[in-house]
Amino acid sequence: MNPLFPHTTSKWLGLALGFCLFAASFVASIAFGQTRIAFGTVVDAFFHYDQHSTEHLIITTTRLSRAVIAAVIGASLAIAGALMQALTRNPLASPSIFGINAGAVFFVVMAITFFSMHSLSQYMWIAFIGAGVSAIMVYMLGSLGRDGLSPIKIVLAGSAITALFVSLTQGLLVVSEQNLQAVLFWLAGSVAGRSLEMLEPVMPFMAAAWGIALLIGRSVNILTSGDDIAKGLGQRTVAVKMLMAVVIVILAGGSVAIGGSIGFIGLIVPHIVRGLVGVDYRWIIPFCAFIGASLLLLSDVAARFIIMPQEVPIGVMTALIGTPFFIYIARRGFNKE
Amino acid sequence: MNKYLSLRNRSGTVSFLLEKKAIATFLVLVCVFIILFLGGLSVGSTMLHPIEVIKHLFGLGSGEYTFIIETLRLPRMIVASLVGAALGVSGLILQGMIRNPLGSPDIIGITGGASFAAVLFINYFSNTFSIKWLPLAAIAGAGVMSLLIYFLAWKRGVTPVRLVLIGIGMAAAASAMTTMMLVLGDNYATSQAYLWLTGSVYGANWQHVYALLPWVLIFIPLALLFSKTANAQELGDSVASGLGVSVQRHRFGLLLISVALAGAAVAFAGAIGFVGLIAPHIARKLVGRSFGSLLPVTALIGGMIVFLADVVARTAFLPLDLPAGIFVSGIGAPFFIYLLYRNRHQ
Amino acid sequence: MIQKRNYLLMVMAALLLMTLVVGCGANGKQEGSAVESSNPEVKTEDVQNNSGTTNAEEVRVIEHAMGKTEIKGTPQRIVTLYQGAADVAVALGVKPVGIVESWAEQPVYTYLRKDLDGVAIVGLETQPNLEEIAKLKPDLIIASKLRHEKVYDQLSQIAPTVTHETVFKFKETVQLMGEAVNKEVEAQQLLTDWEHRVADFKGKISAKLGDGWPIETSVLNFRSDHARIYVTGYAGDILSELGFVRSEYQQEEADKGTVVVRLTDKEGIPSMNADVFFVFLSDPGQDEAVQKTYEEWSNHPLWKNLDAVKADQVYQIDESVWNLAGGVLSAHMLLDQLYEHFGLEK
Repeated sequence: MNPLFPHTTSKWLGLALGFCLFAASFVASIAFGQTRIAFGTVVDAFFHYDQHSTEHLIITTTRLSRAVIAAVIGASLAIAGALMQALTRNPLASPSIFGINAGAVFFVVMAITFFSMHSLSQYMWIAFIGAGVSAIMVYMLGSLGRDGLSPIKIVLAGSAITALFVSLTQGLLVVSEQNLQAVLFWLAGSVAGRSLEMLEPVMPFMAAAWGIALLIGRSVNILTSGDDIAKGLGQRTVAVKMLMAVVIVILAGGSVAIGGSIGFIGLIVPHIVRGLVGVDYRWIIPFCAFIGASLLLLSDVAARFIIMPQEVPIGVMTALIGTPFFIYIARRGFNKE
Repeated sequence: MNKYLSLRNRSGTVSFLLEKKAIATFLVLVCVFIILFLGGLSVGSTMLHPIEVIKHLFGLGSGEYTFIIETLRLPRMIVASLVGAALGVSGLILQGMIRNPLGSPDIIGITGGASFAAVLFINYFSNTFSIKWLPLAAIAGAGVMSLLIYFLAWKRGVTPVRLVLIGIGMAAAASAMTTMMLVLGDNYATSQAYLWLTGSVYGANWQHVYALLPWVLIFIPLALLFSKTANAQELGDSVASGLGVSVQRHRFGLLLISVALAGAAVAFAGAIGFVGLIAPHIARKLVGRSFGSLLPVTALIGGMIVFLADVVARTAFLPLDLPAGIFVSGIGAPFFIYLLYRNRHQ
Repeated sequence: MIQKRNYLLMVMAALLLMTLVVGCGANGKQEGSAVESSNPEVKTEDVQNNSGTTNAEEVRVIEHAMGKTEIKGTPQRIVTLYQGAADVAVALGVKPVGIVESWAEQPVYTYLRKDLDGVAIVGLETQPNLEEIAKLKPDLIIASKLRHEKVYDQLSQIAPTVTHETVFKFKETVQLMGEAVNKEVEAQQLLTDWEHRVADFKGKISAKLGDGWPIETSVLNFRSDHARIYVTGYAGDILSELGFVRSEYQQEEADKGTVVVRLTDKEGIPSMNADVFFVFLSDPGQDEAVQKTYEEWSNHPLWKNLDAVKADQVYQIDESVWNLAGGVLSAHMLLDQLYEHFGLEK
């Protein structure tokens, strides 16, 4: 199947388009919301900021932070998904399917229950640890048996680990009504109500992870042609794999810490991107960033309007969009990969 | 001495092979089950002496504890055992079908569909209808979801791989919708729904026992009849067809049984997880891989896991009476870690 | 030999049959399982003429949310299974022998601690421990259909059980309990006292505010990651009774049956608008995060545009009294607080 942008020139063009899409989504997220704000006002808020204008304040506080957070999480999840799919050679890999989200959620809920941790910077680390632990568990569980890590086995392992952490989380929350009500929104996935300050502790790590992801594009390409070939070409496969794993854990764990359990982005965006640019990971990563961010931004806009003034949790939106796509991929099978 | 015992009817439609060792193990397990069950009946907010319990069961008791034993503990433990057995067998069938030891009723959407239907019922219909209709809603949800997954997975037949993948995807979608209802529903509905989702046999009474019993008594033996097929399917579709098994039809049959068992279990106990995953594993360690031997052993082990979890749940944190589901996961977690530890060299 | 296809059909027929059995069986004809109309009337039929004196032989029949229950004589050992009932029991001068844990200030709300000293806790309101209840040998159980429908039958076997439809309609609880514990006179007195105070309040506040009356109120709640508007529910109903009104938007929601509106985004702030705000902060274990959220929301320009904020009519109130306790004593305390806020003489 030929990618939409087969040649390098067209890839650059595609990337520029991707950036435009991202920019448009970002602007849409800022411009559309419960309070009707004219487009001109939006522009003014950035270029002729008036601190006494309510609308300018809304834009620069609530809407901006929400858009930035959605963009960061969307990009991160998409990149994490792409790397996971490369690492496990499984087109269905994604942080939610592999239980990484569930693990991070469980560890955070444990922190809230037993250690009364409430600030994001505290439970960011917990989320990383949780993501890491569940990744390891899934990997080991999926490798059981004679034929090692096969795509279907790891999906099953992910499902089992998800079930494990979800039920442990339920166990903690069912006995504490107060805790349950407190984390309910976060559990369902949410980018609302978070200020940009919340992003500060996590941002350095996420940015570093993005940087590494971009740089190892070539190594990932080699890796995807098969372990033996990669080793034959002199690549230190173990090192590359570990690096990929670390990046995945940071991106997925960080996303969960900020936004709760948001699924499907990591699954479908890499597929869309591969259809656009083929299998070169040096291109896949940046495309994923733009498209992932755009998708989450647009989902967020939609989530705001359906039951105004209440909102549909964004995890639900992405699930609704992602499921038909997932089914399509599953029916198509693994043969084409 | 012959290691095996073979049972077959004259025309050969029903046949299975039993290892004598398996029979012995089974009998030992039955004894363990009975002992633990009696223990469970004695334990609780009011501690009773096991002899007292035995006397009551034979109608010789002093009458003082009859209410506790007969109305509160016994139906609850029976329901727990039936639920565990049903889930265990359901998981066993699925693991054989997809040829992977990580199969469980969750993956074909049973839990997801039942959860969605149950939370829907609790949120929107529990004012109009009595809560006693909840099990029906849950079973309906499980059935509808499973059918949906089956049809979506159909592409000139259903392969296990496709079934699992679509099952997992649909389960994720159902989970998202369920979460949405939890988040947006009113507080009382949310608490109740969350309890159901954790899995609990609290409040089980004899009505529930009678409603659940037919499912278990019909479908587990039915599964046994399919054991020849199940063993063959385990070897792969082409081998099985070569052996004369009509793969698609039998797969559908086995799926049906699996859905029926798990659906009924979840309908009465909420979304208890893990039993379908762990019980077959433990059984395999004890009696090997033959379906005929595995089935009864799995049922016993599944039942034990759930009723033991429930005993802990209603005793460990007195005066609180916690949902059994919490402790089933509590058993599940170490089990997984154990599994990983044991296989770390592979 | 049975054809495999017919086999399958038979199985499906059996499944369908059993689903019906589950539905009907789990719903069996039993006392007290009928779903009554949504406005339970509490009628008492006396076997002998009663004008306030009670005869130990007398049997009263009480109609409640889940049917009819007979109560002999005057109950002495009462177990209350929801928050409001414990409060009302104390108000009626009856000390229960068992109560359920409070939602905050565990295990008993501070304002009730003196009166409920030494009372046994029988578990959580959502899953009270049946064995613990049985151990106390009660002669009356006050429960809630909303919470305890599932275990109503088993509760009835422990002691006569009467149920309130929900948990927060305190006046119905007063009436119900007055009938049940044979203190109708006291119960009536409580209700009359309340009505007097309501009338008094209405008179004083309309005198004070003149044309400005009635005013709009919002009951707001801030949690660690979102804010809520309690449109109806315990506090909302009391405020309505006192003559306060809701904003147009909130009245729409109330008419639709919504109890709580959850806002995740500060842009939803305008829907909170009203003349007066009563604010409570939740999640006592997470004070920091909740406080921070409240500060963020209240520093937002949209908040500053709200009528109540501009008029400096934002009052912080106590969650236990306004939302959790659900009783008649807490209702009086709520009213006291209102008198204070509006500077009226009691």
